[in-house]
Amino acid sequence: MPDADRHPLLSTLPPNHAQTRRALWMLLALAVAMAATVPAATLPVPGSGPFVPAYATALLVSDLLTAVLLYALTAVQRSRAVLALAAGYLFCGLTVLPWALTFPGAFSATGLLDVGLQGTATIAATRRLGFPVFALAYALLDDDGPGIADIGRAILGSVLATIAVVAGTTAFAVWDDDWLPRFMIDRQHTTPLWDLVPGLAALLSVVGALLVWRRRRSVLGLWVVIALAAWFVESVLLGFVSAGRLSVGWWAGRLYGLLSASVVLAALLSETMALYGRLVRSIAAERRSREARLTTMEALSASIAHEVNQPLASMVASASAGLRWLDRSRPDLEETRTALRRIVDDGHRAGRVVTGVRTAFRKGSRDRETVDLNALVHEALGQCSAELRVNRIEVRTELDPALAPVTGNPAQLQQVLCNLIANAVDAMDAVTHGPRILRLRTEAPEGGGAVVVVEDTGVGLDPVHQDRLFEPFFTTKPHGMGLGLLICRSIVEAHGGRLSMAGRLPQGAVCRILLPPG
Amino acid sequence: METGFVHIVDDDESMRLALDSLFRSVGLATRLYGSARAFLDAPRPDEAGCLVLDVRLPGISGLEFQAHLLAMDIRIPVVLMTGYGDIPMSVRAMKAGAIDFLSKPFRDQDMLDAVSAGIEKDRARRAVDQSAAGLRALYATLTPRERQVMAQVTAGRMNKQIAGDLQLSEITVKIHRAAVMRKMGARSLADLVRMAESLRVRPDGEPALLAG
Repeated sequence: MPDADRHPLLSTLPPNHAQTRRALWMLLALAVAMAATVPAATLPVPGSGPFVPAYATALLVSDLLTAVLLYALTAVQRSRAVLALAAGYLFCGLTVLPWALTFPGAFSATGLLDVGLQGTATIAATRRLGFPVFALAYALLDDDGPGIADIGRAILGSVLATIAVVAGTTAFAVWDDDWLPRFMIDRQHTTPLWDLVPGLAALLSVVGALLVWRRRRSVLGLWVVIALAAWFVESVLLGFVSAGRLSVGWWAGRLYGLLSASVVLAALLSETMALYGRLVRSIAAERRSREARLTTMEALSASIAHEVNQPLASMVASASAGLRWLDRSRPDLEETRTALRRIVDDGHRAGRVVTGVRTAFRKGSRDRETVDLNALVHEALGQCSAELRVNRIEVRTELDPALAPVTGNPAQLQQVLCNLIANAVDAMDAVTHGPRILRLRTEAPEGGGAVVVVEDTGVGLDPVHQDRLFEPFFTTKPHGMGLGLLICRSIVEAHGGRLSMAGRLPQGAVCRILLPPG
Repeated sequence: METGFVHIVDDDESMRLALDSLFRSVGLATRLYGSARAFLDAPRPDEAGCLVLDVRLPGISGLEFQAHLLAMDIRIPVVLMTGYGDIPMSVRAMKAGAIDFLSKPFRDQDMLDAVSAGIEKDRARRAVDQSAAGLRALYATLTPRERQVMAQVTAGRMNKQIAGDLQLSEITVKIHRAAVMRKMGARSLADLVRMAESLRVRPDGEPALLAG
């Protein structure tokens, strides 16, 4: 889901295995609880009326907290679907108030607000059908277009509208009993008309759960499915299994509903915290890698300055010497000429440093194309052929014909190879006895990608120096750039690869470039 | 008068040759080395000199090399060059006894001034070393008894006290004392006291410099 990459939110992240497993366990627990309740469901629980306010308070707090959490999520994601769900929870939370206040036997024997026989039942019916309707809206609302433009106004409007609907329903319910549908025979027992309400609610819950599962494959969607399942269980227990208000089945349904609402809220909270923790960690990691990049940049710029400075210093010293030779009472033209010639050479040397740096960092160095490493090895060898011949170095290649191409910048990768070949040549410069063999090998490593190995039979690596090889000012060469390996490594790492060096037995060094699959 | 040698240690050949040309243009003799090891291995002329050293050398830093020189008791003044001089590095170099610390590219006059200061310092040190060596040679000609007398005399004791301590006659002490003055070439007692101090003669007549 590309959306998850942009916004790693509960409402966009797909659930992982553990989360799905937890949700399935929860579903199973609900089913078992429902089955276990059935035998005793019709027994009345006399005198349990006063517990209704406690239940209502818990439900109110749980629903309002969930609503707040979802509104916050809406503000970030600007999603219409999440806004509908938030309004649904707010609606459920708010309808609990008039329902509990008017419930006979809770706050007074006939209920507060001067309600008639059908009033409480009408409010209950609105609530019972309301939640699955909002959940359906969550499943069906289209979020593909641009998000809500003015999110503050949308949330405020949604909150005010929900409050208005709940207040309107309550007013309607308490106004006149005669206008209301006949849900109740007396305070305990229901009419067949009432049976339609939980039946419809259960049906809507099942349809809603299936649609949410199909259309909203996210952590939030997963827990909405659980909430709808709990709603289904509650509706079935209330409508078809229990013996009306305040029976075992009635209470069990209510408590399962409350329990799963709380579990959903707890799950959402803990998932939010886990997500927040992951974000904090990834931000820290991002910051660390940025600092590391900066340090490398600093080291690189310092070493480039050093490399350019070297020939400059030599030029200044030669020019000063030349002037002094000329200023002598008998000017020495031969010495002056030598000094000038040295200045010319140093000027070219500085130019080469600049060219090398430009090749590594010039515009387009981020351009990537498909690169055949075997061909690149041949090109690099061709470029260094004069040097190899002069130093009487034998070249052996073992190129894997099945090597997969990689994605990269051919000019840069070739510079890396040439640099490593030049290193190898320098290392074998000091070898007077024994073979001078440069071996270039390509191979396909396990796990994809490509490996190029540059092996020499030179003086090898001093273990003492091993850790310092990539330091910007470190060189073991008489004419060392001290820059080459650092630039090579920067280039390889910019390609997502790794450059490593090791000693080779009985003598020499092995340099290994690993590039990721293209 | 000898002009002094400049020893140039730099891994950059072009820089080495440029410095060589610069020093020769003002009449200084030079020796060139591509590495610290080459300098340590080469025989050094017995003349006042100065070492011009690049801080970044293959395998060993100039500062480490400076520490090596101290450990090997090669007491030649050092002028350090760096392409990337930073303050902590210069402070460490100066503490380790460098004459100067020049960052590349440097003004030729700064380098020449630093090097001639170095050579001057080396020359003065060699002169002191030489006079100390001469003094030691003279002291070596004294008999054990004369050394004892010299120690006592320069400690400010009178002939009579010395005679009592060494169980000699006063006349014999006077003879020994005259021999010490003559052999050491001392023009006065004050002169002899100064010599005893620089030789660090101990009361038992054994000089610290000889013992060490």
